[in-house]
Amino acid sequence: MEKPNKIVAKHLDFFYGDFKALEDISVEFKKNKISALIGPSGCGKSTFLRCLNRMNDLIPGSAVKGEVYIDGEDIYGQNIDVVHLRRRVGMVFQKPNPFPKTIFDNVAYGLRVNGIKDRKIVAKRVEKSLRQAVLWDEVKDRLHSSALGLSGGQQQRLCIARALSVEPEVILMDEPASALDPIATQKIEDLIHELKKDFTIIIVTHNMQQAARVSDITAFFYMGRLVETGDTETMFTRPQLQQTEDYITGRFG
Amino acid sequence: MERHFFKELENLKMTILNMAALTQRALESATTAYLERDEQLGQTVIDGDKKINALELEVDQYTLKLLALEQPMAKDLRMILGTAKISNELERIADQAVNISERTQFLSKYPPLNSIPAMEQLIDVSLSMYKKAVSCFVNEDVKAAYEVRKMDDRADQYTLEVLQTLVEYMVKNTPATERRRLNTRRSIQTIIISRCLERVCDLSTNIGEHVAFITQGINIKHQGIDAEL
Ligand SMILES: Nc1ncnc2c1ncn2[C@@H]1O[C@H](COP(=O)(O)OP(=O)(O)O)[C@@H](O)[C@H]1O
Ligand SMILES: [Mg+2]
Repeated sequence: MEKPNKIVAKHLDFFYGDFKALEDISVEFKKNKISALIGPSGCGKSTFLRCLNRMNDLIPGSAVKGEVYIDGEDIYGQNIDVVHLRRRVGMVFQKPNPFPKTIFDNVAYGLRVNGIKDRKIVAKRVEKSLRQAVLWDEVKDRLHSSALGLSGGQQQRLCIARALSVEPEVILMDEPASALDPIATQKIEDLIHELKKDFTIIIVTHNMQQAARVSDITAFFYMGRLVETGDTETMFTRPQLQQTEDYITGRFG
Repeated sequence: MERHFFKELENLKMTILNMAALTQRALESATTAYLERDEQLGQTVIDGDKKINALELEVDQYTLKLLALEQPMAKDLRMILGTAKISNELERIADQAVNISERTQFLSKYPPLNSIPAMEQLIDVSLSMYKKAVSCFVNEDVKAAYEVRKMDDRADQYTLEVLQTLVEYMVKNTPATERRRLNTRRSIQTIIISRCLERVCDLSTNIGEHVAFITQGINIKHQGIDAEL
Protein backbone atom coordinates (compact mmCIF):
# COMPACT_ATOMS: atom_id res chain seq x y z
CA MET A 1 0.00 0.00 0.00
CA GLU A 2 1.21 3.49 -0.84
CA LYS A 3 2.41 5.29 2.27
CA PRO A 4 1.19 8.85 2.90
CA ASN A 5 3.53 11.80 2.47
CA LYS A 6 5.21 12.98 5.66
CA ILE A 7 7.15 15.89 4.25
CA VAL A 8 6.46 17.79 1.06
CA ALA A 9 8.63 20.62 -0.29
CA LYS A 10 7.17 22.88 -2.94
CA HIS A 11 9.21 25.21 -5.12
CA LEU A 12 11.74 25.73 -2.39
CA ASP A 13 14.54 28.27 -2.96
CA PHE A 14 17.23 28.98 -0.42
CA PHE A 15 19.70 31.86 -0.31
CA TYR A 16 22.88 32.48 1.65
CA GLY A 17 22.87 36.26 1.12
CA ASP A 18 22.97 36.66 -2.66
CA PHE A 19 23.98 33.08 -3.28
CA LYS A 20 21.11 30.85 -4.31
CA ALA A 21 22.01 27.50 -2.79
CA LEU A 22 18.72 25.76 -3.63
CA GLU A 23 16.51 26.37 -6.60
CA ASP A 24 12.92 25.30 -7.07
CA ILE A 25 13.05 22.07 -5.10
CA SER A 26 9.79 20.12 -5.12
CA VAL A 27 9.89 16.69 -3.55
CA GLU A 28 7.83 14.37 -1.35
CA PHE A 29 9.03 12.11 1.45
CA LYS A 30 6.85 9.20 2.47
CA LYS A 31 6.03 8.30 6.04
CA ASN A 32 8.07 5.44 7.52
CA LYS A 33 10.38 5.34 4.57
CA ILE A 34 14.08 6.02 4.39
CA SER A 35 14.96 8.64 1.83
CA ALA A 36 18.54 9.32 0.81
CA LEU A 37 19.84 12.58 -0.61
CA ILE A 38 22.88 12.12 -2.83
CA GLY A 39 24.94 14.40 -5.03
CA PRO A 40 28.42 15.88 -5.28
CA SER A 41 29.67 17.89 -2.37
CA GLY A 42 28.40 21.47 -2.36
CA CYS A 43 25.22 20.62 -4.29
CA GLY A 44 22.99 21.67 -1.38
CA LYS A 45 22.10 18.42 0.37
CA SER A 46 22.85 19.68 3.88
CA THR A 47 21.25 23.03 3.16
CA PHE A 48 18.10 21.28 2.02
CA LEU A 49 18.10 18.96 5.01
CA ARG A 50 18.37 21.91 7.38
CA CYS A 51 15.40 23.57 5.67
CA LEU A 52 13.26 20.69 6.87
CA ASN A 53 13.53 21.66 10.53
CA ARG A 54 14.42 25.30 10.02
CA MET A 55 17.95 24.93 11.30
CA ASN A 56 18.97 27.42 8.60
CA ASP A 57 16.98 30.14 10.36
CA LEU A 58 20.01 30.58 12.57
CA ILE A 59 22.24 31.59 9.65
CA PRO A 60 22.42 35.38 9.29
CA GLY A 61 21.51 36.69 5.85
CA SER A 62 19.80 33.53 4.78
CA ALA A 63 16.37 33.47 3.19
CA VAL A 64 13.82 30.84 2.19
CA LYS A 65 11.21 30.98 -0.54
CA GLY A 66 8.59 28.35 -1.21
CA GLU A 67 6.94 25.93 1.18
CA VAL A 68 7.72 22.89 3.28
CA TYR A 69 4.79 20.88 4.65
CA ILE A 70 4.91 18.34 7.41
CA ASP A 71 1.70 16.37 7.64
CA GLY A 72 0.17 19.05 5.47
CA GLU A 73 1.18 21.97 7.67
CA ASP A 74 3.54 24.62 6.27
CA ILE A 75 6.49 24.79 8.66
CA TYR A 76 7.40 28.26 7.39
CA GLY A 77 3.86 29.42 8.16
CA GLN A 78 2.87 32.09 10.67
CA ASN A 79 1.96 30.14 13.77
CA ILE A 80 4.77 27.66 13.81
CA ASP A 81 6.59 27.09 17.10
CA VAL A 82 10.13 26.37 15.94
CA VAL A 83 11.16 24.66 19.16
CA HIS A 84 8.22 22.31 18.84
CA LEU A 85 9.06 21.76 15.16
CA ARG A 86 12.62 20.71 15.99
CA ARG A 87 11.29 18.29 18.54
CA ARG A 88 9.15 16.67 15.85
CA VAL A 89 12.01 16.74 13.37
CA GLY A 90 15.21 15.62 15.06
CA MET A 91 18.69 15.77 13.64
CA VAL A 92 21.90 13.75 13.75
CA PHE A 93 25.12 15.24 12.45
CA GLN A 94 28.20 14.02 10.66
CA LYS A 95 30.56 14.10 13.60
CA PRO A 96 29.27 12.52 16.80
CA ASN A 97 28.84 15.47 19.14
CA PRO A 98 27.99 14.18 22.61
CA PHE A 99 28.07 16.70 25.44
CA PRO A 100 30.90 16.33 27.96
CA LYS A 101 28.46 14.77 30.38
CA THR A 102 27.47 11.28 31.41
CA ILE A 103 25.86 8.88 28.97
CA PHE A 104 22.61 9.17 30.90
CA ASP A 105 22.62 12.95 30.94
CA ASN A 106 23.30 13.14 27.22
CA VAL A 107 20.08 11.32 26.49
CA ALA A 108 18.13 12.98 29.31
CA TYR A 109 19.19 16.42 28.14
CA GLY A 110 16.53 16.83 25.47
CA LEU A 111 13.85 15.67 27.86
CA ARG A 112 14.85 18.17 30.52
CA VAL A 113 14.98 20.96 27.97
CA ASN A 114 11.46 20.01 27.03
CA GLY A 115 10.35 20.28 30.65
CA ILE A 116 10.17 16.60 31.49
CA LYS A 117 11.60 16.44 35.00
CA ASP A 118 9.98 13.39 36.64
CA ARG A 119 12.96 11.15 37.35
CA LYS A 120 11.13 7.91 36.76
CA ILE A 121 9.83 9.04 33.41
CA VAL A 122 13.23 10.39 32.44
CA ALA A 123 14.93 7.10 33.38
CA LYS A 124 12.37 5.15 31.40
CA ARG A 125 12.74 7.30 28.33
CA VAL A 126 16.52 7.18 28.51
CA GLU A 127 16.44 3.39 28.57
CA LYS A 128 13.91 3.24 25.76
CA SER A 129 15.95 5.56 23.57
CA LEU A 130 19.18 3.72 24.24
CA ARG A 131 17.45 0.47 23.36
CA GLN A 132 16.04 1.95 20.16
CA ALA A 133 19.53 3.10 19.27
CA VAL A 134 20.78 -0.44 19.97
CA LEU A 135 23.25 0.90 22.50
CA TRP A 136 21.63 -0.17 25.77
CA ASP A 137 23.43 -3.49 26.19
CA GLU A 138 26.78 -1.83 25.67
CA VAL A 139 26.28 1.00 28.16
CA LYS A 140 23.72 -0.13 30.75
CA ASP A 141 26.45 -0.78 33.33
CA ARG A 142 28.12 2.58 32.90
CA LEU A 143 25.29 5.02 32.36
CA HIS A 144 26.93 7.49 34.70
CA SER A 145 30.37 7.55 33.15
CA SER A 146 31.37 10.13 30.60
CA ALA A 147 29.99 9.87 27.08
CA LEU A 148 33.39 10.92 25.79
CA GLY A 149 34.77 7.52 26.85
CA LEU A 150 32.66 5.79 24.21
CA SER A 151 33.99 4.76 20.81
CA GLY A 152 33.11 6.91 17.79
CA GLY A 153 30.41 4.50 16.66
CA GLN A 154 28.93 4.32 20.17
CA GLN A 155 28.99 8.10 20.43
CA GLN A 156 27.07 8.36 17.18
CA ARG A 157 24.46 5.89 18.40
CA LEU A 158 24.30 7.90 21.61
CA CYS A 159 23.55 11.00 19.55
CA ILE A 160 20.83 9.05 17.78
CA ALA A 161 19.44 8.00 21.19
CA ARG A 162 19.52 11.65 22.23
CA ALA A 163 17.57 12.59 19.11
CA LEU A 164 15.07 9.79 19.75
CA SER A 165 14.50 10.66 23.41
CA VAL A 166 12.04 13.46 22.64
CA GLU A 167 10.05 11.06 20.44
CA PRO A 168 10.39 12.84 17.12
CA GLU A 169 8.44 11.84 14.02
CA VAL A 170 11.17 12.56 11.51
CA ILE A 171 14.91 12.09 11.86
CA LEU A 172 17.29 13.98 9.62
CA MET A 173 20.78 12.53 9.37
CA ASP A 174 23.63 14.39 7.73
CA GLU A 175 26.32 11.91 6.73
CA PRO A 176 25.90 10.10 10.06
CA ALA A 177 28.50 7.44 9.33
CA SER A 178 31.14 9.36 7.45
CA ALA A 179 33.44 9.62 10.47
CA LEU A 180 33.05 5.94 11.39
CA ASP A 181 34.90 2.74 10.56
CA PRO A 182 33.18 0.05 8.46
CA ILE A 183 31.87 -1.98 11.39
CA ALA A 184 30.48 1.02 13.22
CA THR A 185 29.05 2.18 9.89
CA GLN A 186 27.30 -1.12 9.40
CA LYS A 187 25.77 -0.87 12.87
CA ILE A 188 24.44 2.58 12.06
CA GLU A 189 23.00 1.30 8.79
CA ASP A 190 21.31 -1.65 10.50
CA LEU A 191 20.00 0.76 13.10
CA ILE A 192 18.55 3.01 10.41
CA HIS A 193 16.66 0.03 8.99
CA GLU A 194 15.32 -0.75 12.47
CA LEU A 195 14.19 2.82 13.09
CA LYS A 196 12.15 2.92 9.92
CA LYS A 197 9.15 1.28 11.47
CA ASP A 198 8.74 4.10 13.99
CA PHE A 199 10.18 7.11 12.18
CA THR A 200 10.46 8.81 8.83
CA ILE A 201 14.14 9.11 8.01
CA ILE A 202 15.96 11.37 5.61
CA ILE A 203 19.65 10.79 5.28
CA VAL A 204 22.33 12.72 3.44
CA THR A 205 25.22 10.60 2.33
CA HIS A 206 28.11 11.07 -0.04
CA ASN A 207 28.51 7.31 -0.13
CA MET A 208 26.39 5.98 -2.96
CA GLN A 209 26.64 2.38 -1.87
CA GLN A 210 25.33 3.47 1.49
CA ALA A 211 22.37 5.22 -0.10
CA ALA A 212 21.72 2.08 -2.14
CA ARG A 213 21.93 -0.12 0.95
CA VAL A 214 19.82 1.85 3.39
CA SER A 215 17.24 3.84 1.50
CA ASP A 216 13.87 3.17 -0.09
CA ILE A 217 13.86 6.39 -2.04
CA THR A 218 16.79 8.29 -3.47
CA ALA A 219 16.92 11.92 -4.53
CA PHE A 220 19.81 13.16 -6.63
CA PHE A 221 20.83 16.81 -6.20
CA TYR A 222 23.15 18.72 -8.46
CA MET A 223 24.13 22.39 -8.20
CA GLY A 224 21.25 23.34 -5.98
CA ARG A 225 18.63 21.52 -8.02
CA LEU A 226 16.83 18.24 -7.62
CA VAL A 227 17.68 16.30 -10.77
CA GLU A 228 15.87 13.03 -10.28
CA THR A 229 14.12 11.15 -7.55
CA GLY A 230 12.66 7.69 -7.48
CA ASP A 231 12.66 4.41 -5.66
CA THR A 232 16.21 3.43 -4.84
CA GLU A 233 16.21 0.22 -6.82
CA THR A 234 15.26 2.04 -10.01
CA MET A 235 17.66 4.92 -9.35
CA PHE A 236 20.60 2.55 -9.04
CA THR A 237 19.70 0.05 -11.73
CA ARG A 238 18.09 2.17 -14.44
CA PRO A 239 17.90 5.88 -13.69
CA GLN A 240 15.84 7.91 -16.16
CA LEU A 241 18.23 10.79 -16.76
CA GLN A 242 21.71 10.69 -18.21
CA GLN A 243 22.96 13.13 -15.55
CA THR A 244 21.92 10.73 -12.79
CA GLU A 245 23.42 7.80 -14.66
CA ASP A 246 26.72 9.67 -15.06
CA TYR A 247 26.90 10.56 -11.40
CA ILE A 248 25.93 7.13 -10.15
CA THR A 249 28.44 5.37 -12.37
CA GLY A 250 31.24 7.81 -11.58
CA ARG A 251 31.41 9.42 -15.03
CA PHE A 252 30.87 12.95 -13.83
CA GLY A 253 32.38 16.02 -15.44
CA MET B 1 42.93 9.97 -15.51
CA GLU B 2 40.69 7.19 -16.74
CA ARG B 3 39.18 5.13 -13.99
CA HIS B 4 40.61 1.69 -13.60
CA PHE B 5 37.12 0.23 -13.55
CA PHE B 6 36.32 1.53 -17.04
CA LYS B 7 39.36 -0.29 -18.38
CA GLU B 8 38.11 -3.43 -16.67
CA LEU B 9 34.72 -3.02 -18.34
CA GLU B 10 36.42 -2.55 -21.69
CA ASN B 11 38.42 -5.74 -21.08
CA LEU B 12 35.27 -7.63 -20.27
CA LYS B 13 33.67 -6.43 -23.47
CA MET B 14 36.75 -7.45 -25.47
CA THR B 15 36.67 -10.93 -23.96
CA ILE B 16 33.05 -11.32 -25.03
CA LEU B 17 33.88 -10.13 -28.54
CA ASN B 18 36.73 -12.59 -28.69
CA MET B 19 34.36 -15.35 -27.64
CA ALA B 20 31.79 -14.19 -30.18
CA ALA B 21 34.36 -14.29 -32.98
CA LEU B 22 35.44 -17.82 -32.10
CA THR B 23 31.83 -18.91 -31.85
CA GLN B 24 31.04 -17.38 -35.23
CA ARG B 25 33.94 -19.24 -36.77
CA ALA B 26 32.73 -22.49 -35.17
CA LEU B 27 29.24 -21.98 -36.52
CA GLU B 28 30.43 -21.12 -40.02
CA SER B 29 32.84 -24.05 -40.10
CA ALA B 30 30.25 -26.47 -38.78
CA THR B 31 27.67 -25.51 -41.40
CA THR B 32 30.24 -25.47 -44.22
CA ALA B 33 31.52 -28.85 -43.09
CA TYR B 34 27.97 -30.16 -43.18
CA LEU B 35 27.23 -28.76 -46.63
CA GLU B 36 30.57 -29.82 -48.11
CA ARG B 37 30.77 -33.10 -46.18
CA ASP B 38 34.17 -32.07 -44.84
CA GLU B 39 35.08 -34.26 -41.85
CA GLN B 40 38.34 -32.46 -41.24
CA LEU B 41 36.76 -29.05 -41.01
CA GLY B 42 34.16 -30.52 -38.63
CA GLN B 43 36.97 -31.83 -36.46
CA THR B 44 38.45 -28.34 -36.09
CA VAL B 45 35.13 -27.21 -34.61
CA ILE B 46 35.13 -30.06 -32.12
CA ASP B 47 38.74 -29.34 -31.15
CA GLY B 48 38.21 -25.61 -30.92
CA ASP B 49 35.39 -25.82 -28.38
CA LYS B 50 37.75 -26.06 -25.41
CA LYS B 51 38.91 -22.51 -25.98
CA ILE B 52 35.34 -21.20 -25.92
CA ASN B 53 34.55 -23.13 -22.75
CA ALA B 54 37.63 -21.65 -21.13
CA LEU B 55 36.59 -18.14 -22.12
CA GLU B 56 33.16 -18.67 -20.60
CA LEU B 57 34.79 -19.58 -17.29
CA GLU B 58 37.02 -16.55 -17.58
CA VAL B 59 34.01 -14.28 -18.08
CA ASP B 60 32.25 -15.88 -15.10
CA GLN B 61 35.20 -15.19 -12.86
CA TYR B 62 35.72 -11.73 -14.21
CA THR B 63 32.12 -10.65 -13.76
CA LEU B 64 32.05 -12.06 -10.24
CA LYS B 65 35.17 -10.13 -9.40
CA LEU B 66 33.84 -6.87 -10.83
CA LEU B 67 30.55 -7.25 -8.95
CA ALA B 68 32.31 -7.93 -5.68
CA LEU B 69 35.10 -5.40 -5.91
CA GLU B 70 33.65 -2.52 -7.89
CA GLN B 71 30.04 -2.53 -6.77
CA PRO B 72 28.87 -1.24 -10.13
CA MET B 73 25.68 0.73 -10.54
CA ALA B 74 23.11 1.42 -13.23
CA LYS B 75 24.33 0.65 -16.74
CA ASP B 76 27.68 -0.70 -15.53
CA LEU B 77 25.81 -3.17 -13.37
CA ARG B 78 23.55 -4.17 -16.23
CA MET B 79 26.53 -4.52 -18.55
CA ILE B 80 28.23 -6.94 -16.18
CA LEU B 81 25.13 -9.04 -15.57
CA GLY B 82 24.29 -8.94 -19.28
CA THR B 83 27.74 -10.02 -20.47
CA ALA B 84 27.70 -12.94 -18.04
CA LYS B 85 24.47 -14.09 -19.66
CA ILE B 86 25.68 -13.44 -23.19
CA SER B 87 28.83 -15.47 -22.64
CA ASN B 88 26.61 -18.29 -21.48
CA GLU B 89 24.54 -18.09 -24.69
CA LEU B 90 27.71 -18.02 -26.80
CA GLU B 91 29.03 -21.11 -25.11
CA ARG B 92 25.78 -22.92 -25.84
CA ILE B 93 25.81 -21.80 -29.46
CA ALA B 94 29.33 -23.18 -29.80
CA ASP B 95 28.07 -26.46 -28.32
CA GLN B 96 25.48 -26.59 -31.07
CA ALA B 97 28.25 -26.13 -33.62
CA VAL B 98 30.05 -29.09 -32.05
CA ASN B 99 26.89 -31.15 -32.17
CA ILE B 100 26.40 -30.31 -35.85
CA SER B 101 30.00 -31.30 -36.54
CA GLU B 102 29.55 -34.65 -34.81
CA ARG B 103 26.52 -35.43 -37.01
CA THR B 104 28.59 -34.33 -40.00
CA GLN B 105 31.31 -36.86 -39.12
CA PHE B 106 28.70 -39.58 -39.48
CA LEU B 107 26.94 -38.20 -42.55
CA SER B 108 30.16 -37.62 -44.47
CA LYS B 109 30.92 -41.34 -44.41
CA TYR B 110 27.86 -42.14 -46.53
CA PRO B 111 26.52 -40.88 -49.82
CA PRO B 112 24.68 -37.59 -49.51
CA LEU B 113 20.94 -37.28 -49.17
CA ASN B 114 19.17 -35.19 -51.79
CA SER B 115 19.66 -31.55 -51.05
CA ILE B 116 16.95 -30.02 -48.82
CA PRO B 117 16.28 -26.36 -49.70
CA ALA B 118 14.81 -25.58 -46.28
CA MET B 119 18.04 -26.77 -44.67
CA GLU B 120 20.10 -24.32 -46.65
CA GLN B 121 17.69 -21.55 -45.82
CA LEU B 122 17.85 -22.51 -42.16
CA ILE B 123 21.65 -22.32 -42.23
CA ASP B 124 21.44 -18.88 -43.82
CA VAL B 125 18.97 -17.52 -41.31
CA SER B 126 20.88 -18.98 -38.36
CA LEU B 127 24.09 -17.33 -39.43
CA SER B 128 22.36 -14.01 -40.07
CA MET B 129 20.55 -14.09 -36.75
CA TYR B 130 23.76 -14.87 -34.93
CA LYS B 131 25.71 -12.10 -36.62
CA LYS B 132 22.94 -9.60 -36.07
CA ALA B 133 22.75 -10.54 -32.39
CA VAL B 134 26.47 -9.96 -31.97
CA SER B 135 26.39 -6.65 -33.83
CA CYS B 136 23.49 -5.62 -31.67
CA PHE B 137 25.79 -6.09 -28.66
CA VAL B 138 28.72 -4.31 -30.32
CA ASN B 139 26.63 -1.30 -31.32
CA GLU B 140 24.23 -1.42 -28.35
CA ASP B 141 21.48 -1.44 -30.94
CA VAL B 142 18.17 -2.48 -29.40
CA LYS B 143 16.35 -2.18 -32.71
CA ALA B 144 18.48 -4.99 -34.04
CA ALA B 145 17.43 -7.10 -31.05
CA TYR B 146 13.82 -6.85 -32.16
CA GLU B 147 14.83 -7.75 -35.70
CA VAL B 148 16.60 -10.88 -34.50
CA ARG B 149 13.46 -11.91 -32.66
CA LYS B 150 11.38 -11.45 -35.76
CA MET B 151 13.69 -13.66 -37.83
CA ASP B 152 13.16 -16.47 -35.37
CA ASP B 153 9.75 -17.24 -36.89
CA ARG B 154 11.41 -18.03 -40.18
CA ALA B 155 13.92 -20.28 -38.48
CA ASP B 156 11.10 -22.25 -36.88
CA GLN B 157 9.37 -22.56 -40.23
CA TYR B 158 12.46 -23.91 -42.00
CA THR B 159 13.11 -26.36 -39.19
CA LEU B 160 9.61 -27.70 -39.60
CA GLU B 161 10.07 -28.02 -43.36
CA VAL B 162 13.28 -30.01 -42.91
CA LEU B 163 11.46 -32.35 -40.59
CA GLN B 164 8.52 -32.78 -42.95
CA THR B 165 10.76 -33.40 -45.96
CA LEU B 166 12.76 -36.06 -44.19
CA VAL B 167 9.81 -37.82 -42.59
CA GLU B 168 8.26 -38.02 -46.03
CA TYR B 169 11.52 -39.43 -47.38
CA MET B 170 11.88 -42.01 -44.63
CA VAL B 171 8.34 -43.23 -45.03
CA LYS B 172 8.11 -43.39 -48.82
CA ASN B 173 11.37 -43.83 -50.63
CA THR B 174 13.06 -46.98 -49.48
CA PRO B 175 11.79 -50.51 -49.91
CA ALA B 176 14.87 -52.60 -49.03
CA THR B 177 15.51 -53.16 -45.33
CA GLU B 178 19.24 -52.38 -45.15
CA ARG B 179 18.79 -49.30 -47.22
CA ARG B 180 15.89 -48.16 -45.12
CA ARG B 181 17.93 -48.37 -41.97
CA LEU B 182 20.69 -46.25 -43.42
CA ASN B 183 18.26 -43.73 -44.85
CA THR B 184 16.54 -43.43 -41.51
CA ARG B 185 19.82 -42.93 -39.71
CA ARG B 186 20.99 -40.27 -42.12
CA SER B 187 17.67 -38.53 -41.97
CA ILE B 188 17.57 -38.47 -38.20
CA GLN B 189 21.10 -37.10 -38.00
CA THR B 190 20.08 -34.40 -40.42
CA ILE B 191 16.97 -33.60 -38.42
CA ILE B 192 19.16 -33.26 -35.34
CA ILE B 193 21.31 -30.78 -37.22
CA SER B 194 18.24 -28.74 -38.06
CA ARG B 195 17.28 -28.77 -34.37
CA CYS B 196 20.76 -27.54 -33.46
CA LEU B 197 20.40 -24.66 -35.88
CA GLU B 198 17.01 -23.85 -34.50
CA ARG B 199 18.59 -23.68 -31.02
CA VAL B 200 21.27 -21.35 -32.38
CA CYS B 201 18.48 -19.05 -33.49
CA ASP B 202 16.79 -19.15 -30.07
CA LEU B 203 20.07 -18.44 -28.31
CA SER B 204 20.80 -15.57 -30.69
CA THR B 205 17.40 -14.16 -29.85
CA ASN B 206 18.37 -14.36 -26.18
CA ILE B 207 21.54 -12.40 -26.86
CA GLY B 208 19.42 -9.64 -28.37
CA GLU B 209 17.23 -9.65 -25.28
CA HIS B 210 20.26 -9.30 -23.00
CA VAL B 211 21.41 -6.32 -25.07
CA ALA B 212 18.03 -4.66 -24.56
CA PHE B 213 18.51 -5.17 -20.82
CA ILE B 214 22.04 -3.79 -20.89
CA THR B 215 21.31 -0.68 -22.90
CA GLN B 216 17.89 0.28 -21.58
CA GLY B 217 17.26 -1.77 -18.48
CA ILE B 218 14.16 -3.23 -20.10
CA ASN B 219 13.06 -6.82 -20.33
CA ILE B 220 11.69 -7.75 -23.75
CA LYS B 221 11.72 -11.46 -23.10
CA HIS B 222 8.08 -12.23 -22.75
CA GLN B 223 6.58 -9.49 -24.85
CA GLY B 224 4.65 -10.35 -27.99
CA ILE B 225 6.81 -10.89 -31.02
CA ASP B 226 5.49 -7.72 -32.64
CA ALA B 227 6.39 -5.48 -29.71
CA GLU B 228 8.51 -2.55 -30.79
CA LEU B 229 10.53 0.10 -29.05
N1 LIG C 1 26.65 29.03 6.02
C1 LIG C 1 26.87 29.18 4.69
N2 LIG C 1 27.08 30.39 4.18
C2 LIG C 1 27.29 30.58 2.86
N3 LIG C 1 27.29 29.58 1.95
C3 LIG C 1 27.09 28.34 2.41
C4 LIG C 1 26.86 28.08 3.80
N4 LIG C 1 26.68 26.74 3.95
C5 LIG C 1 26.79 26.22 2.71
N5 LIG C 1 27.02 27.17 1.79
C6 LIG C 1 27.18 26.96 0.34
O1 LIG C 1 25.97 26.41 -0.17
C7 LIG C 1 26.24 25.39 -1.12
C8 LIG C 1 25.60 24.08 -0.66
O2 LIG C 1 26.27 23.63 0.51
P1 LIG C 1 25.82 22.34 1.31
O3 LIG C 1 24.37 22.38 1.50
O4 LIG C 1 26.68 22.23 2.51
O5 LIG C 1 26.18 21.21 0.25
P2 LIG C 1 26.35 19.63 0.47
O6 LIG C 1 25.79 19.28 1.79
O7 LIG C 1 25.62 19.02 -0.67
O8 LIG C 1 27.82 19.35 0.38
C9 LIG C 1 27.75 25.31 -1.25
O9 LIG C 1 28.13 26.10 -2.35
C10 LIG C 1 28.24 25.93 0.03
O10 LIG C 1 29.49 26.55 -0.16
MG1 LIG D 1 26.78 18.41 3.46
